[in-house]
Amino acid sequence: MVIIDSEVCKGCSLCVVSCPQKNLKLSESLNRIGYHPVEFHYHGEKGDCTACGLCYWVCPDFAIAEVRRLKQ
Amino acid sequence: MTTLQDKATGGYEVKLGRLPTLTGKPTHYCAGCEHGVLTRLIANAIEELGMREKTVLVDSVGCSVLAHDYINTDAIQSPHGRAPAIMTGIKKVRPDLLVFAVQGDGDAVAIGLLELIYAASRGEPITVFLVNNAIYGMTGGQMAPTTPAGMVTTTTPRGRDLKDTGPVMDATKLLSGLEGPSYVKRVFLPVTPIGSTDLYSARGSLEGAKSVLNAFKVQLMGGFSFVEFVSTCSVNWKMSILESKRYSSEVLAKLFPPGLYVDKMGVEKK
Amino acid sequence: MKTEKEFVKGNEALALGALKAGMNAYFAYPITPSSEIPETLAREFKSPEYPEFKIFLQAMNELEAINMVIGAASTGAKAMTATSGPGFSLKQEGISYAAAMEIPFLVVDVNRAGPGLGNLGPEQSDYFQATKGGGHGGYKTIVLAPNSVQEMAAFPALGFSLAFKHRTPVLMLVDAFLGQVKEDIVFPKIAQEKFETPWAATGARGAERHLILSLHLDFEDQSKHAEHLKSKYEEIDMAEQRSEEYLTSDAEVVLVAFGVVSRLCRRAVNELRAKGVRAGLFRPVTLSPFPAKGLKSLVDRGIKKIVVVELNVGQMVFDVKLAVEGKASVDFIYKLGGFLPTSADIVRKVEMISK
Repeated sequence: MVIIDSEVCKGCSLCVVSCPQKNLKLSESLNRIGYHPVEFHYHGEKGDCTACGLCYWVCPDFAIAEVRRLKQ
Repeated sequence: MTTLQDKATGGYEVKLGRLPTLTGKPTHYCAGCEHGVLTRLIANAIEELGMREKTVLVDSVGCSVLAHDYINTDAIQSPHGRAPAIMTGIKKVRPDLLVFAVQGDGDAVAIGLLELIYAASRGEPITVFLVNNAIYGMTGGQMAPTTPAGMVTTTTPRGRDLKDTGPVMDATKLLSGLEGPSYVKRVFLPVTPIGSTDLYSARGSLEGAKSVLNAFKVQLMGGFSFVEFVSTCSVNWKMSILESKRYSSEVLAKLFPPGLYVDKMGVEKK
Repeated sequence: MKTEKEFVKGNEALALGALKAGMNAYFAYPITPSSEIPETLAREFKSPEYPEFKIFLQAMNELEAINMVIGAASTGAKAMTATSGPGFSLKQEGISYAAAMEIPFLVVDVNRAGPGLGNLGPEQSDYFQATKGGGHGGYKTIVLAPNSVQEMAAFPALGFSLAFKHRTPVLMLVDAFLGQVKEDIVFPKIAQEKFETPWAATGARGAERHLILSLHLDFEDQSKHAEHLKSKYEEIDMAEQRSEEYLTSDAEVVLVAFGVVSRLCRRAVNELRAKGVRAGLFRPVTLSPFPAKGLKSLVDRGIKKIVVVELNVGQMVFDVKLAVEGKASVDFIYKLGGFLPTSADIVRKVEMISK
């Protein structure tokens, strides 16, 4: 699963388009800096979050703060 | 991948998390800009090497002028283009430190080209990261030496004419022709559209993460390392964020082919 | 030429003014807050309205740009470049060479806060660099200080005229505010002057060749050349001091300021007069040669209080002190870091000083 820091998100949607499971979507509401921040949905359109971490690596703003996986 | 242990929440552990090498300050970079991504990659590499307290970052002039606000290390400001010279000075007297600079295509390929060529030629053990978005970003969208033919900028309002302004400069190729550098690599950093699907590939970031780490390793082994990140500038190219990724992958990736150009220490094979 | 009012930005007005003055070549390097100058020129390049504008080239740094200007100007062409603080520092070597070789051209410095990278707000802290010769060796240039977008449009023509008349680089010291502000102006009718350049390097004709040099290994030669430059600067000093006065004829206290600060001081003078203080304003238009004659004559007339207002920690104030030769008190008001003082600030300080 993904922990998001919505107050620094600039709604660039790079994570949205990179997520193979489509777990991420821009929110309807606005954050403090005036952008639509991204929201995490564990059960995505194409499947559940696999903690692949691609969103973490493409985010330019550290809005994807943590990627957590089930304990090994 | 960095793994940080955190207090378990319902059977989860942190796979990728907050880095002490980032100050946590929100960036001034435009939405979707690769400068932000590179900042993350650099912070990650410094953390993996455990070098946060032995790193000095050199701020350049351009969009990366505020790098010290985001990367949690010591820093010194360089005049426009002079970062390789400043880094040389630092390393000569303190060879134990890790030094690097993030330079734009104006800073490194225009005004600072001489300093870059000579530091590279002498094989100074420093690291230069070039963010090539084919335009001058911070100053409002003027032509850069890397601007492709025909591109409209504020100083080429009718499109860049190579006849008058000279050819497009390829810094990676230029440096690979010199004896001095130990590691010269070009990475296509932006997310890339995958065919006709609506999925974008993040391979640029993953390749970038490896390359930044390798560049630092080369420096610590005494070599000059240089990584050029072909990027985007949606604001000054006057495109949407995703359009700019597509443009970069269709035009810039061909003009500036990604790849490993020099690897004298074989760091990528290890 | 259009005669209606146009609402123009300072930097644009300067660029268009240079074009109307018949500039032939512009060598660019962008730096905030002067980039609108090359951007305007890039747009107007190849426009049928400016047939004299034959060359627009963006250089790779300010060193390239100034040396390209020197090359073009050494053939007698009208050339110009514009920059701000850090770029202005880079150009000093070129300006020193050009002053020694007596090559005429225009360099615009849009003064932002400094030193170092500073910020993008207005300052007047490049005054010393511009007027005392920021490059090596003993030379001077002519320095013009516009204070309105109207003057930004008119001064390039004046600059070229002075440059070619005296065979010297001419600098325009513009504060960042003036470069960015928009005002209504009417572009002045500018006759494009044709300058005689018998000294230019355009290929030796007949027996005589033109050598444009600054190296004089023989001490006698160098000394003669330096003396020649000295007399030239004395000539310029005698003939080209320019200033503007406002309500000085019956003034008790005179403010001295240039650039955008002079506009604030003018307002402060009006506010002081309304409060019964007989204030006036002396505005240097040329910073080099410094209009010492005009200032001294005010003091000779009996004005005993001078207040210098600048956006720096005290640069022009020294020239003012020298000019008044100790015959008046010289006080100093300043603001730094990109801030402008308000006219109320100035009024308050002048009132304190006048007591």
